[in-house]
Amino acid sequence: MTGGATARPGSGLYVYGVVRADTPPDLFADVRGVDPTRPVAVLAEGEVAAVVSRVSLDEFGADAIAENLRVADWVAAKVRAHDDVLGATVGRTAVVPFRFGAIYGGEESVRTMLRERADLADRLETLSGRMELGVKGYVDREQVRALLARERGVGDDAPDTGRAYMERRRLDRELEDEVRERAMRWATAGHERLAAAADDARSSPARQDEAAPSSSMMFLNGAYLVREEDAERFRTALGELAESQRADGVTYELTGPWPAYSFVGEEEEPG
Amino acid sequence: MSTRTATLAEQVTLIELVDRVLNKGVVLSGDITLSVAGVDLVYVGLRLLLTSVASLEERAAGEE
Repeated sequence: MTGGATARPGSGLYVYGVVRADTPPDLFADVRGVDPTRPVAVLAEGEVAAVVSRVSLDEFGADAIAENLRVADWVAAKVRAHDDVLGATVGRTAVVPFRFGAIYGGEESVRTMLRERADLADRLETLSGRMELGVKGYVDREQVRALLARERGVGDDAPDTGRAYMERRRLDRELEDEVRERAMRWATAGHERLAAAADDARSSPARQDEAAPSSSMMFLNGAYLVREEDAERFRTALGELAESQRADGVTYELTGPWPAYSFVGEEEEPG
Repeated sequence: MSTRTATLAEQVTLIELVDRVLNKGVVLSGDITLSVAGVDLVYVGLRLLLTSVASLEERAAGEE
């Protein structure tokens, strides 16, 4: 990663993703790229085109980027810019999103990449007229605890007998297992139900959302590729799912539409 | 120091963004001048989220 033969001064081309060659460049006229001072351009080769903008190697060179990736505000700003550019295509034309940080030496190397990746045109075809919607499912531990207590007849009052005390203890011990078990069941059932209303579906490992209230636990982190004309049907399916589980302390959150980030990866993340 | 005044909703959006932009998408090899291939972007994302959550908590504490 240090200087040497690969160090080139000047600038490079940052590639956000690939669109159809006939995509009008003014689609990106209002968005700012990872370098806000440079315009976003469309570089066509054959049937496809790369969405690019020029970046300075002072900021994106190998050494510089390694440094900058340690700066939270820098990463946050660049991640947002990357998504803003790709987001300009949502509802307008299909895009194959690239992962953050694909930077090429110049136009010719971008064109070479486009020629070599014959699969890009096919991928665009698959994504055409479709959008990615994100659904996250959360369960409220406190609510599950209350439900469990009611099911078992464990009262909320201070335990006045040894038996009541033991029951309360047992409930506390078993709560985590019970929440996990229910969460797994809901994750499978919910994902299946939503996938049935979509063209394609991916489930990522549920992650603890640090920004969420502490008693809330994520059990579903799904992405769904939905045809534009099926969007309402998908929302209805989600609404029904949420309604049917409301009493269980379950809530769902819908995000997007997103560029189809989750449906272009070469490999599945393990887990 | 950050001068951003991010709201909780913005933080959640950032998590969603990081999940996608850093962890997903087509990964290319080849004639990439400055590949970030040597950098674990998933780790970068996690670190970013921890930082942003810490700043969120700081602010929440400040408001109390």
